[in-house]
Amino acid sequence: MKMKKALIVFLLLALMGAPVFANGKAEVKTAEPTRKVLRFGQTNPKLAMDEQTNSNSGVATLADLVTEGLFKWNEDNKEELVLAADWPQISADGLTYTFKLKQGIVFSDGSPLTSKDVKFTFERMFTPSTKAVNTYMYDMISGAKEMLSGNATELSGLKIIDDTSFSITLTYPFSGFVKNLGISYAEIFPAKACSEAGANWGHGTTLVGTGPYMIKENDEQTRVVFEKNPNFRGKANLDEIDIIFIDDVSTKLLEYEAGNIDLCQLDNAMYQQYKNSDIASDIVQYTPLGTVFINLNLNDPALKDIRVRQALSLAIDRKTYCEDFLDGTGVPATGFLNPSELGYMQRDQYEYNPKKAKQLLSEAGAANLHLVAHVRSKDKNEFVYIQNCFAQIGVTMDVQVVDNGVWYSEWQAGSIQIMWMGWFPLYADADNHMYTYFFSQNASKKSNFYNNAKFDELVTEARQMTDDSQRAKLYQQADTMLTQEDYGCIPLYYPRYQFVAKPYVKNMKVGNLIYHLNDVDIDTSLQKTR
Amino acid sequence: MPKYLLKRIAQAIGVVLVISMITFFILNIVPGNPVQLMLGDFATQETIDRVTHEMGLDKPVVLQYLHWLGNMLKGDFGTSYFQRQPVLLLLGKAFTVTAKLALSSYVLALVIGVGFGIIAAVFHNRFLDKLLMVFSIAGISAPNFWIAIILQIIFGLKLHWFPISGVRTFAAYILPTIALGTRYAASISRITRTSMLEVVKQDYIRTAKAKGLSRLQVTMGHAFRNALIPIVTVAGADLSNIFTGSMLIESVFSIPGIGKLFLDCIGNRDLPLVEGGVMYIAVICVIVYLLVDMLYTVIDPRIRLGGENE
Repeated sequence: MKMKKALIVFLLLALMGAPVFANGKAEVKTAEPTRKVLRFGQTNPKLAMDEQTNSNSGVATLADLVTEGLFKWNEDNKEELVLAADWPQISADGLTYTFKLKQGIVFSDGSPLTSKDVKFTFERMFTPSTKAVNTYMYDMISGAKEMLSGNATELSGLKIIDDTSFSITLTYPFSGFVKNLGISYAEIFPAKACSEAGANWGHGTTLVGTGPYMIKENDEQTRVVFEKNPNFRGKANLDEIDIIFIDDVSTKLLEYEAGNIDLCQLDNAMYQQYKNSDIASDIVQYTPLGTVFINLNLNDPALKDIRVRQALSLAIDRKTYCEDFLDGTGVPATGFLNPSELGYMQRDQYEYNPKKAKQLLSEAGAANLHLVAHVRSKDKNEFVYIQNCFAQIGVTMDVQVVDNGVWYSEWQAGSIQIMWMGWFPLYADADNHMYTYFFSQNASKKSNFYNNAKFDELVTEARQMTDDSQRAKLYQQADTMLTQEDYGCIPLYYPRYQFVAKPYVKNMKVGNLIYHLNDVDIDTSLQKTR
Repeated sequence: MPKYLLKRIAQAIGVVLVISMITFFILNIVPGNPVQLMLGDFATQETIDRVTHEMGLDKPVVLQYLHWLGNMLKGDFGTSYFQRQPVLLLLGKAFTVTAKLALSSYVLALVIGVGFGIIAAVFHNRFLDKLLMVFSIAGISAPNFWIAIILQIIFGLKLHWFPISGVRTFAAYILPTIALGTRYAASISRITRTSMLEVVKQDYIRTAKAKGLSRLQVTMGHAFRNALIPIVTVAGADLSNIFTGSMLIESVFSIPGIGKLFLDCIGNRDLPLVEGGVMYIAVICVIVYLLVDMLYTVIDPRIRLGGENE
């Protein structure tokens, strides 16, 4: 009997123990209704908040709350002034840009923003020991390459005129230069604070900037807490922003449903599950700037004939693909350039005509075409759909899933025959989108090998012009050539992404790939009723 | 014993070095350029070449390995390519988290596993035995990530008893502890039951009962002690597994532990961190198996390590 009693006690303890020790409350603190606290769940980028040393959009979400550049791309994909007082004056030869900073700008540590900070920022970027990864966006500045190679310690192309004026000279005319300055990689760091932090810059709470918020707490593992920057020239809407790191997409949504976070991305893979759920009304869709397409290796003998490439395009019913398979997370593409980009042109939908496709294949002597696709696991399902489309016209395709690292190597080595690709520009401009992929020298590094002298001429000319209306015409011609005449790739759709936001979260908008929280506000009256 | 210990430690160092070498060379053979992965899609070849040179990745693999090995012997495991922080610092931070999770799961697994095993053996072939063994089979069969999700939904989302993810409070460890510990509790309970059933048939148990000892004294003082060797073997292996195999649970619960760190760095080809992670696994396994061997002598004094008394 004694033994039985002991066992019963043990069992009860084992089964009931856990709740006894639990505090019964979720870990993420509930925001006090009187304070405006936004809790955003995002994947932990596990990187320093130093946008010179990485190109991670998750880092940009964090760092852009603190640091600012001369310009920025807003959520309507328009470039606007931030620290620059006006657009730069450009010399007649298109090489020298003269900038003026706004007066009275102060960093969160109280130090004033001057031209010296701008010079420091760019010199830090080109100093080899920084190991900056985004130098290719700015290495057209005179003296940049000399610094990168270790032959200079000063950026000769950046001259300080006075405390708030400076000029930058380029080695060749480049129309995208001011646009490049509008992305996060060119945000301005305070010389003193950044030098003092050294290699630790961006870790912990070291990041200092001119933005609306500053870092209050950062354990780099579970969350970062931002508070208002008292020295900010404008008004920050929120008292606090808690970035809570949740990597698992499913867990993130559970936290959202439980009310532990106010805002998070809703992955396309989860969209179908949630679009008819209790939180369906919280879903906000947006269209980033990218394009999803089938990348073809034009050096491959099986894909050299334009008729074969056209046939593959004709085999895909993009409307059904987007509506049924993608469940509305894509809009059928009509060319390579995205509707939000300079150079986009309204065209008819791509034709879906399997009969014509078969005929073209027959004419090209490729009736029994067999293809081998290498895709990453995340792209597999979509490519299996494409595999079925091709099967309708007698083309067999072996879809092989490869590891991310292997895929990158093969892609760069030009050894992939056919694959899925989503290509997203950093800002709304065809140069950053189309030139970076299909200009002959770039295409050869992307398992594509598109090489059309006329196309190269058009995009090269466009990147050296400053008149956007003229540039748009050139890009329209280039896009037509690439996607309607040469079938250098097979555009599929313009992707749509989504986030979920509680009804009291206001002004949340995503223009491209980065979640900018700078303008987000909270309606506390609605929050109280949650 | 000291001679045996020194021999085992020397062997362990050899094993760890061989593992480090194999890992280093395999990772260099496997396709996947860490610099390309680090710089992203837009980087030019010029930038890739420059960063490759700055990181010393353009040197012959043998030189890279020797350089890494030399530094490691001095306690410097290098700097993560991506996180740009010392590997030892990253491993240390992650280990603190993993250790809490692993130890709590292990304690849970031992208490539940041994307890259920003994109860099942005591009530052999009765309802309680069958019920506990059904739980045991379910615990072994159910994938731990599935258990994790079910726990999240019931106790996190629906009942709001525990946090769904994270590690910022004590309560946050409870669901991952249960999710991780369940499988090990199940396997320990089965081996405990089997081992106990073997022992209770022995003559000395009958003798103990005949001497008038209580059921509790017979079970715990005589049967359980003699059933310990197989339990310790399984529980020892479980300890190393629990310390090194929490990747899925850490991933589901967003726990910044070793498993999560390791999972991320493999995909990125973050060689110094992968090497550091492999060293961690190797060291944990070597230490645990050494401890298990030593524990045998404590449990059964007839066992002598290293054949000292032979």
